[in-house]
Amino acid sequence: MITFERVTKRYQDGTVAVDALDLEIPAGKTVVLVGPSGCGKTTSLRMINRLVEPTEGRILLDGQDVRAEDPARLRRGIGYVIQQTGLFPHRTVQDNIATVPLLNGWRRPKARARARELLELVGLDKALARRYPYQLSGGQQQRVGVARALAADPPVLLMDEPFSAVDPLVRASLQDQLITLQTQLHKTVVLVTHDIEEAIKVGDLIALYRPQGRLAQFGTPERLLGAPADDYVAGFVGFDRGIRRLTFFPAAGLELSAGPVLGADATVAKAQATGEPWILIVDDGQPRGWVPQARLASLSGDTPLDQLLADGIGHTFPVRGGSLRAALDAAVISPAGQAIGVDEDGRVVGVATFDQLRAAIQAADRAADQADEAAAAADLATHRSADEPGARR
Amino acid sequence: MNWSWIPAHGSEIWAYAKDSALLGITPALLGLVISLPLGIVAARWRWFNAPVLGVVSVLYAIPSIALFFALIPALGLTDTNVIVALTLFSLCVIFPNVVAGLHAVPDSVRQSATAMGYGALRRLAMVELPLAVPVIIGGLRVAVVSSISLTSVSQLIGVYSLSYYLIDGYQRQFPTEIYVALVLIIVLAVACDLVLVGVRRVLTPWMARS
Repeated sequence: MITFERVTKRYQDGTVAVDALDLEIPAGKTVVLVGPSGCGKTTSLRMINRLVEPTEGRILLDGQDVRAEDPARLRRGIGYVIQQTGLFPHRTVQDNIATVPLLNGWRRPKARARARELLELVGLDKALARRYPYQLSGGQQQRVGVARALAADPPVLLMDEPFSAVDPLVRASLQDQLITLQTQLHKTVVLVTHDIEEAIKVGDLIALYRPQGRLAQFGTPERLLGAPADDYVAGFVGFDRGIRRLTFFPAAGLELSAGPVLGADATVAKAQATGEPWILIVDDGQPRGWVPQARLASLSGDTPLDQLLADGIGHTFPVRGGSLRAALDAAVISPAGQAIGVDEDGRVVGVATFDQLRAAIQAADRAADQADEAAAAADLATHRSADEPGARR
Repeated sequence: MNWSWIPAHGSEIWAYAKDSALLGITPALLGLVISLPLGIVAARWRWFNAPVLGVVSVLYAIPSIALFFALIPALGLTDTNVIVALTLFSLCVIFPNVVAGLHAVPDSVRQSATAMGYGALRRLAMVELPLAVPVIIGGLRVAVVSSISLTSVSQLIGVYSLSYYLIDGYQRQFPTEIYVALVLIIVLAVACDLVLVGVRRVLTPWMARS
């Protein structure tokens, strides 16, 4: 756990980079510091490993003031990844990764073996071990940077705009990898970004900064999207926050109906008997296409449905593991205005209309509100609000 | 051109060539030894840079012959006199390159070295100096070549090297000596330069080959 206690950083020219910051970063979580440039998020990060010293207040790492320890020794226990990678150009990939183990006195063969393990962990080919940084792509260099930070297995990982310098596709894969790594490693990750999308994607908790180093809101991504503390937060998380937060609501709670779903061997007469405006034709469980009732009117009742030309389905959503956002999107894009839920094998489970979606969203909202109230009550009980302290100041 | 003169004076030519090499290379190496600590300090504390740069630039502005004469009372008409003078000249090209080489280390590299737990001295020795090698060797190359060329002036205070043949050939109206000296001085300078390029390649396998 990392605790900021009324930490202020004031520079000699009077600029206040961080202003009386109180923040508690729980162990094993990914906490994202996000805000506009110059808001003090990077300064906050660098005060943790003492690249910057606070003017007032203190920072505790597992209860111990970071200034109690020799800086070099402290830093060897804290991984550090930066945007420009900061790889040592004169060392091979494996020796870059082995840096901290070597500083800690490991023998070279052991440190290099560890380096090659880490290459695999971050999804790089071991054959890259003997290359020099200039021979790698930007994305590969960034992965090496992450491997180097993890080499001595530090409990804390600091990441300063780690994915900002690569193209969007590579960025997405690096973000996915960080999420995957976290499920295995459970490091305390503090990540700085100016990209709220990135914060929402990778963060367990988000600390949103205002300019001049004040905290605007601290909470889960769901909370920032669903209950922004003020207009500043609402503006920062974006105009489509209502839809985006549906990402955090599982589709499992959505009521599905099977009424419009018919096999390809069913007849037109059977389809007409359903009374549904649209019929979803499935073949061996797989969705084939939507057909409107109007198209059936001129056909004889015993025509099998697979003779009909069906409209496309847009896309489906996974019932298990999918979100209400995916379901809503599937409904919007569908010609029938209904979302098709499928199982792991892509077989149709049922469909949901906008009415059913609305009911599910409202139910999820109520559940989230109750959880928030419970959390707020717990906060009051401990007199220590982890949620939105900045907004109340 | 009297070709038979060359083999007839082979051992003498060889001895003068060695003198030229010694007078050319020694000052550059001494200049490096002096410039490294000065440059490290100047790169770290910038206020130190301007005065040192001022002094080495003024030294460089002194005509070489004047400096040789100025050192005679202390060092006499000796090799040492020439080596000391050329060392002082070499500072002007090596010292700024040490500073520039250290300044050229990317901030992100220095910062991540610090964040990884390097102390200042270890960082200097294991990260910053290795990365400054190409720029420092660049200065060394200029220093060696210019020292070799300046040895021809040292002839005037009686310190002999290949340039002896330049003066002697002129006085005796014997061009063969002049040609031989000229070619060997150029060969020596090019050879020293190539050696330094080779040293840089060996020390910097990590640089992209263009």
